[in-house]
Amino acid sequence: MRRRPGIGGLQNAAAARDQYRMLGENVAKIRTDMMKEQLATFRSQLEEFARKHKNDIRKNPAFRSQFHEMCAKVGVDPLASNKGFWAELLGIGDFYYELGVQIVDICLATRPHNGGLINLQELCNLLRQRRKSDREAVSEDDCLRAISKLKAQGFVTVDEVERRLSWTSGRAIDALDTLLDEGLAMIDDGHKDGRRRYWFPCVSSISTSVADT
Amino acid sequence: MQKLGDFKLPHFFNYPPYFTLQPVRDTREKQVQLWKELILDYCRTQKIFVIGLEEDFPLFSNAVIERSLTHEAREAFLSALVSEGRAEWLDKGHRKCLILWHRIQDWADIILHFVKDNGLEDSVITVEEMRSGIECRGTELHGIDRTILMRALKLLEQKGKLAIFKGTSADDEGVKFSM
Repeated sequence: MRRRPGIGGLQNAAAARDQYRMLGENVAKIRTDMMKEQLATFRSQLEEFARKHKNDIRKNPAFRSQFHEMCAKVGVDPLASNKGFWAELLGIGDFYYELGVQIVDICLATRPHNGGLINLQELCNLLRQRRKSDREAVSEDDCLRAISKLKAQGFVTVDEVERRLSWTSGRAIDALDTLLDEGLAMIDDGHKDGRRRYWFPCVSSISTSVADT
Repeated sequence: MQKLGDFKLPHFFNYPPYFTLQPVRDTREKQVQLWKELILDYCRTQKIFVIGLEEDFPLFSNAVIERSLTHEAREAFLSALVSEGRAEWLDKGHRKCLILWHRIQDWADIILHFVKDNGLEDSVITVEEMRSGIECRGTELHGIDRTILMRALKLLEQKGKLAIFKGTSADDEGVKFSM
């Protein structure tokens, strides 16, 4: 831009600066929009991938672990929601949920022997023994994910236990009341939906002691 | 850590189950203990002497986690303080509770120190001056609940340390020390 002397020249310089600034903002916006679009594309391709390889994800722990890593890279957490695409399609939510309950069960059973501290490897061995008849293999990675999912939520309702594990109401309440009596759970009747929640303060100490091995 | 004004709230205050009375005995005991300590600490630092069960006492609810103590829970925790001698019910309906974050005996000792510090051993002072006069500024007596002050004074009267007498009006009760 040709410099002009005097006030006119100053005004032109200011106008030019404004124009450059607007251009810069537009460029930034275009970049952001493009990235968002790329991310959205990647996510739908991820969903496509998950559909195609559903069985591999379910059956193969190594494959499953890499799948989780891929998801994490694009900010997808298949375990984050109990509803929606991921939980329904893959049934992964239920898998980890059931794992979580079994882990709490094992920790409960072994507490008299180990004082509440259990080595991750031993936990997985016990878990595999218990699940011998079950379809899916379980890795240490799975254990850690199940534990962190339990920790994230921190509580369950009777309905959820019934639904996820296909238990009767009686069995669910019995199991939860057992944990309550053992001092591993606390009740919470204060939610506005009126449904009793069972909280697990022990879970954070489980995840701490397991993670440290 | 969450705060109520200047007061630092303990972690359990943000954990929803602590707002429900726990049915399992050991868990309940731990819960009651935590609430007793919190109530006493809070009342001491905020100089609160009376809690009304049906009022909006700040510790009774936590808006962040959307939980409130039921009336039953409030009564349970305060009754535990009463059993321990750290509180007293002011009415049969258990609607108002006097909180003794200092026991009456402790208050009596504080009064004796106050008298000595101010050279009042053979003096007369009104009850109202003891709790709002110039001498009591900056001491624990400043703003003390009148009921508690009278109880402590009566305890000292029984021990012969002072005599309480009525003044010209209802507000004019006075104390003559003989220490």
